[in-house]
Amino acid sequence: MTSLPRRDFLYGLGSSLGALALTDLLAADFATAAGPLTPKQTMRPAKAKAVIMLFMEGGPSQVDTFDPKPELNARHVTESTRTKGLATGKRFFVGSPFKSRKVGNAGIDMSEPWQFLADPEVADELCVYRGCRAESLNHPEALLQMNTGSRLGGDPGLGAWATYGLGSENQNLPGYVVMTELALPQAGPANWTNGFLPAHYQGTRLRSTGSPILDLNPPAFKSHDHQRRALDQLAMLNAAHAANHPDHRDLAARTESYELAFRMQTAVPGIADIAGEPQHVQKSYGLDRKECTSFGKQCLMARRLVEEGVRFVQIFSGGWDSHDYLERGHSSRINCVDQPIAALIRDLKEKGLLEDTLVVWTGEFGRTPDNNYRGGVTALGRGHNVDAMNMWFAGGGVRKGTIVGATDELGAAASEVVHPVRDVHVTMLNLLGLEDNKLTYFHGGRFKQLSQFGGEIIPELIG
Amino acid sequence: MNDTTERYVQFRGGMLLLSAVWLLMGTTCTASEHDSDRLFTLKVLPLLKEKCGGCHAADAEDLKGDFAVDSREALLKGGESGEASIVPGKPDESILYQAVLWDGLEMPPKENDRLTKEQTHYIRRWIEAGAPWPNAKRQDELRKAEWAVRENEDGVIVDTSGGLADEWTYRRYHPEDIWAFRAVRRKTELVGPQNNLHAVDFFVNAKLQQAKISAAKSADARTLIRRATYDLTGLPPTPREIFEFRKAFKAAPERTYGDLIDRLLASSHYGERWGQHWLDVVRYADTGGFSNDYERSNAWRYRDYVIRSFNNDKPFNEFVVEQIAGDELRSDDPEAIVATGFLRMGPWETAMIPQDEARQLYLNDLVHNTGQSFLSMPMRCCKCHDHKFDPIPTRDYYRLYAAFAATQPAEMAADFLPQENRNGFAQKKKLVEELLAFAKAELKTVDDKMEAAATKWYEEHNLPYRSANQRRKDPEDMKPPRHVGLTPEETGIKKVREQDVWIWERRLERYRPMAQGVYNGSDKNTNARKLRPTDNVKKGWQPATFILAGGSLEAKLDEVGPGVLSGIGLPVPTENDASSAETPGNGVPRQATTSDDPYLLTEGISGRRLQLAQWIASDDNSLTARSFVNRVWQYHFGTGIVKTANNFGAKGSSPTHPELLDWLTADFIENGWKTKRLHRLIMTSTAYRRSGPHPNLKKVETVDPNNDLLARFPARRLTAEEYRDSTLLISGELNREIGGVPIMPEINIEVALQPRMIQFSIAPAHQPSRTPAERNRRTIYAYRVRGQADPMLEILNLPNPNESCDLRDTAAVTPQAFTLMNSDGITDRSIAYALRVQKERPDDQSQQIRRAVQLAYGRVATAQEEQNLSAYLTEMRRYHQQHTPAVVEYPTQVTRSLVEEFTGKPFQFTELLNVYNDYVPDPKPWTVSAETRALADVCLLLLNSNEFMYVY
Repeated sequence: MTSLPRRDFLYGLGSSLGALALTDLLAADFATAAGPLTPKQTMRPAKAKAVIMLFMEGGPSQVDTFDPKPELNARHVTESTRTKGLATGKRFFVGSPFKSRKVGNAGIDMSEPWQFLADPEVADELCVYRGCRAESLNHPEALLQMNTGSRLGGDPGLGAWATYGLGSENQNLPGYVVMTELALPQAGPANWTNGFLPAHYQGTRLRSTGSPILDLNPPAFKSHDHQRRALDQLAMLNAAHAANHPDHRDLAARTESYELAFRMQTAVPGIADIAGEPQHVQKSYGLDRKECTSFGKQCLMARRLVEEGVRFVQIFSGGWDSHDYLERGHSSRINCVDQPIAALIRDLKEKGLLEDTLVVWTGEFGRTPDNNYRGGVTALGRGHNVDAMNMWFAGGGVRKGTIVGATDELGAAASEVVHPVRDVHVTMLNLLGLEDNKLTYFHGGRFKQLSQFGGEIIPELIG
Repeated sequence: MNDTTERYVQFRGGMLLLSAVWLLMGTTCTASEHDSDRLFTLKVLPLLKEKCGGCHAADAEDLKGDFAVDSREALLKGGESGEASIVPGKPDESILYQAVLWDGLEMPPKENDRLTKEQTHYIRRWIEAGAPWPNAKRQDELRKAEWAVRENEDGVIVDTSGGLADEWTYRRYHPEDIWAFRAVRRKTELVGPQNNLHAVDFFVNAKLQQAKISAAKSADARTLIRRATYDLTGLPPTPREIFEFRKAFKAAPERTYGDLIDRLLASSHYGERWGQHWLDVVRYADTGGFSNDYERSNAWRYRDYVIRSFNNDKPFNEFVVEQIAGDELRSDDPEAIVATGFLRMGPWETAMIPQDEARQLYLNDLVHNTGQSFLSMPMRCCKCHDHKFDPIPTRDYYRLYAAFAATQPAEMAADFLPQENRNGFAQKKKLVEELLAFAKAELKTVDDKMEAAATKWYEEHNLPYRSANQRRKDPEDMKPPRHVGLTPEETGIKKVREQDVWIWERRLERYRPMAQGVYNGSDKNTNARKLRPTDNVKKGWQPATFILAGGSLEAKLDEVGPGVLSGIGLPVPTENDASSAETPGNGVPRQATTSDDPYLLTEGISGRRLQLAQWIASDDNSLTARSFVNRVWQYHFGTGIVKTANNFGAKGSSPTHPELLDWLTADFIENGWKTKRLHRLIMTSTAYRRSGPHPNLKKVETVDPNNDLLARFPARRLTAEEYRDSTLLISGELNREIGGVPIMPEINIEVALQPRMIQFSIAPAHQPSRTPAERNRRTIYAYRVRGQADPMLEILNLPNPNESCDLRDTAAVTPQAFTLMNSDGITDRSIAYALRVQKERPDDQSQQIRRAVQLAYGRVATAQEEQNLSAYLTEMRRYHQQHTPAVVEYPTQVTRSLVEEFTGKPFQFTELLNVYNDYVPDPKPWTVSAETRALADVCLLLLNSNEFMYVY
């Protein structure tokens, strides 16, 4: 029998097909076959093996988180004549409702609602970046830009590119995992689609309630053993069929996909079941605090996934779109994510995972220093801002304990180490040992890449 | 042999000669100096400009490495390293040459920009020749002399409307890269079928003979009927159809097979299957995508128009013209208005986007997708620059853009046609009206509270009360604060309910005689949630279209008029044009073009699209018919004669059988662009009827690993739609009704109820259609929401409707197994399937097994299968006797939680699921016996098996 076509192969080969003749027939091929998610050689020395991306949907405000602006506070509720952005009509400046202070040995600026992240042990790991500029003022397009490199939708997500380039270490789990709140972020699954890459690279959503993966388990009246029995019976039907179609190369891969599914039925709930984590660990993620339970559990699962060799994990946390009532809005959001994020960094560090896990905290854009009179009311909030935002990185080979780039005196626009989103992407790929210019896929008449048409590394971010 | 030696051997002769010349010659202009000046001017300088100039020209935005390539002096001086970049006469010591070889330095740094072997050799030869750099005047002379020669060893110059630079305008193409821009050869120009051989076989066999491989034998009757039935209808043949076909086939194979094709082409399911292919290409969806994902309530009429067009065998050229310009062609014909739904298929949104940009997005989408869908010419590349590989200048892009510049998207009036399915309108409408009434009542509660507070405010300020509408533009100090009297949570509720009212009012438009169409008019402020035509086109308004450098509205270059692609050399048809006598729309008055340029369209506000459409649909357009013929071929054989069905450009694939493609295309045009005739032609070939297995597989796979030569017939997996439709057919549940407003299948309940963010609110839950007959219909009728796909279809590679899909992905990914083994949907199908089998074979277990296998596979079960499955059934019966499924109730409402933007705090509201008030469910595990559930387990395996999943 000739060798099987490698490109069509499913990930996770090399296991049982049932005690059938087919097994022997294919065994030799399985032993050597490379699936689409088999770990691949990096293109250059890698600093990070995995990514955990914490996505604050809605656009967190830079001046109220990690980029304080005394000058802005001084101009609080005075009239603004800035004309940027979407809003029309009269505008006024909005000072930050939060005090800011420098924390840790590195002296990273942090607004006061950040309590846990301010712990020097955690804060000194951060590399805050203030120079990024986004492109679209609209949430879905900006989300797509940050997550897929294109505003238009239909391009592969960051994790799809990463797993396409690197494969994944664990063949019993998806290589690219996405966790969201109950409601999907704007633009939905287009944020983690495989796009034009083969379907193997799409993000798999681990759901926060119900079954972690849709239909992962049979209906309640069918047991695990029942499922095993069904798969054995199915393998028999398929084996007889394969014997009649030795020319058809896709059959073995499809049959094997059922076996991998069965293994995932055990592996995935294992990841989601955090009961085995020590009490103090669970507590450190804030699982005993109502407002932190959901995001905290997802952060803890992210650590467990990375520990198991998953390549790319993304968690979405919504509600950062504070057009009004900024103080309540942002303090409540920070309160929900602060403790879990700090725990995640500390936990990764203690487990020796932080050095090769890149943690990214970002939104889709930043916010304006001023606001319009919403309905004539001086509502203390902020509009969307593509000219300034802030994000931070930790672990994975970034320069820790630093602030890179700057915005102007009001936090209205990035002014130093200014780069578009694509350069952040190129830098992330670089840390993973991938080169954007070489990580390409031929589609629609040209070689496509994450940065669209090429970008630059931001050397200041790299340690 | 490694690359270097190969290069050396290949070019050694020339090098020696050049070196000798360099040593011997003095200062007079010699033949070889002329050659090296030419080499520099025509080959090397363009490379330096294109490949290096972006970063290494003195005027580059950010000169890299302090190194420039824009003069000989600069190259001799070198960059920051201080070393010269070229050493004249010594390429191996020249850093520039090493860099382009990626030896040490890697330049240009992008893999995709790397110089080809040929290009690096130009640089080598030039340095060897002493790196001459003739002055500008001399360069100019050399270029002009070269451009005067139309065709030489470097390729052929293609006449176009002209690029932004002469270098582009006069560049040369390899003839094999521009095959699609060349006219379709007429049958008389081709060595065509001889000895009564079928045309397809004539061309296919010739290639096989060349490659010295034999073809597989013909497939058996059962394989043939299953293949043909799936291909033409997307459904499997019934056991009876198979039985009768096999019987007749034995006696008269040719006639029986021919009759089968005729019967299938006459079936109204044919249009559903082939309409789906077209809808994939044009990106059909029932919503607009992006942040609001507004419903396009009448899109379904376009979907049905497409199905109808295929069923009626509408000539493809008419189909083209109607979709691009139906409104200009027959403004009083609803069918023609509905057809322009094509111009409304792209995802589009206006929220939070400046108006001019939103307009640009719409027009860019039209240009790209018109090119891609009808011409297999994706246009996006030339939005920003002249096409890098194909003879399409950016000027042509903006001429097409101008052709659409007066096209405004809108919901247009279009009476319902007798052939349109309006079944159940009243009842469906009632469900929507209930939801609208609920939303309005909820909104009123909040509004009443607000107005009470407003009234109080006016009293306190001694001002007369003014309603919310009246006071909208009042000065701030003359009216109460926004949302007066409401808690932040109530403000949230107000926004949600306002959005609900929009959603349900919009949905009621499904039942009104409207179409998602276009009209010609001036630009105005638009909001995608309601697009109505305006009568008052501004007097004297004329769209102005400019070439936009880099696609930026801020960077206007030349103004352009409406026009067509110039590179294929086909002028715009005029009224006197004899060749357009048969073109659809003939007789409609048209304005003559106002220019001598044969590629320009009328300047009138109206008529631009019709002329463009006629140009596209012309018999002489080298792209249109070829594009469609190739698509048809592809859907029959799994791959096209050109593998990239959406891209016939240089970066697409070349045709594997160019003569066959031309012959089929010529035949298609000669015979009136009739699709059914083309199917018949393809399907009656021996090539189409071959079997998959091949007696000498090893050899075939070595010689022709991708089966390009079609020695055997490729297997294919069922598409998402075919899978769902087949399960419904086999379970006996399929309602074969054609057309109508979107149906709502039962989808995974978690996904159906899962909140989905839209602007200011959460999109309504997916409520399935009320009765089995309404929802268990073919998948093409299922509501297609851009923001949320049916997970079962999505996992089976249903394409993302934001991008044109020319070929379905068939990757077997693991989550497919979860869905096909565990989902409620597949469980329900397996139970209905079991009930059908029990009903048809009430008594005997063996008979039930046999019947189940026969329904799924269309064949008799083997003894082994019968034995295995029978044992399994017995075992499952025991299992289910001990395991009783719990009853699951449908919810009649759901509580939503949303984080209020003002406060960052969650608030809650109720959404009604009114369909469940008197819902008629499908058979469920808890409504059937253990016996049925056991048999359903057998059925489930059959529905998961590879034999069911693949068509051979």
